[in-house]
Amino acid sequence: MMKIRNTRDGWGAGAQLLHWLIAAGIATAMLLGWIMVNLPNSATKFELYALHKSLGITILALVLLRIVWRWINMVPDMPGTLSPREQKLAGAGHMALYALMLLMPLSGYVLNSAANFPLNVFGLVQIPNLTPESETLAEVASVMHLTFFWVLAAVLVAHIGAALRHHFVLHDDVLRRMLPVRRR
Amino acid sequence: MFRSTSSSAGRFSLGLGLGVIASALPMLASSAATGWEIVHDESRLGFEATQQGGRFEGRFEDFRADMRFSADDLAMSRFDVTVATGSINTGSSQRDSNLPDAEWFDTDAFPEAYYVTREIRATTDGYEAVGDLTIRDNTHEVVLPFTWQTEGDRAEMNGAVTIDRVRFGVGQGEWRDPSVAGHEVKVVVDLTLER
Repeated sequence: MMKIRNTRDGWGAGAQLLHWLIAAGIATAMLLGWIMVNLPNSATKFELYALHKSLGITILALVLLRIVWRWINMVPDMPGTLSPREQKLAGAGHMALYALMLLMPLSGYVLNSAANFPLNVFGLVQIPNLTPESETLAEVASVMHLTFFWVLAAVLVAHIGAALRHHFVLHDDVLRRMLPVRRR
Repeated sequence: MFRSTSSSAGRFSLGLGLGVIASALPMLASSAATGWEIVHDESRLGFEATQQGGRFEGRFEDFRADMRFSADDLAMSRFDVTVATGSINTGSSQRDSNLPDAEWFDTDAFPEAYYVTREIRATTDGYEAVGDLTIRDNTHEVVLPFTWQTEGDRAEMNGAVTIDRVRFGVGQGEWRDPSVAGHEVKVVVDLTLER
């Protein structure tokens, strides 16, 4: 029976749920973002923009929740088989992921705010803009949003690559402990 | 040779005579319904619309109106409003850069929009103006409910009416889709006037 909270040697259901919800959200938002910017103007394009923005704000909320959850839970130990240098690298990678998970939606939110576009999350609730209208700020936020996209894509490749390496090369339980089924 | 026998000169003078009488009529009318000047610094011709499901506001910076209103002479009360479509301001340079385009207001071809009342009548809550709104040469009747409060030589007029932008051809082609910009636009009139 999986516990809601984390234990010393594994992630609880809360952390796993947040991890995989956010993972699915990020994959969808990145894909939507890539498709929508390359579409010519059409109703579909604007619907994808609305969806992308709603998803981004949802991810931002989930990431904040996840940070709080991590704060009030213990973090499982890394496997002892990892060298101190590898542990440091893994820690830095996860820090980068958390930072990017915040910066990605925030830069999009600023971009939308600086353009003074309204933002209605999934047609349910309109959230206020963060900044006054500013073309300069919108351009800066746009460049940052795209830069963060590429950095996030690179860190995600490393993250997924590392998880697969743990499972298939190192044969430890790092990947398995983020899955609901933990049979050896 | 000045004593013209041509009938065209006769028609001309007849036309002139009628014109003088016709132009005198509003002056007669104004003796009953008061003429009002808009205090532009304290007035707003605004609207509320939606973009991708989110609400935003805008306004027309440049408009003028011939306003005649007397609560006790509604028959002679009349609004004749002209709006410079290019003066639209929604506080978003990206959005505002699109609005003068041919798909939206086409400000080159249609620099002005008009609202001319045909009747102003009392309602339980105040008044309503029945008039013709013309945008991009599309004219449709629009009934504008409003309140009017006169205090000395100043007056406040507040009214709002929701119109369908598509009926007036505003936002065509790919912009026609309601997910891009909602079809319903609430026009909000808040005027301060002086006589």
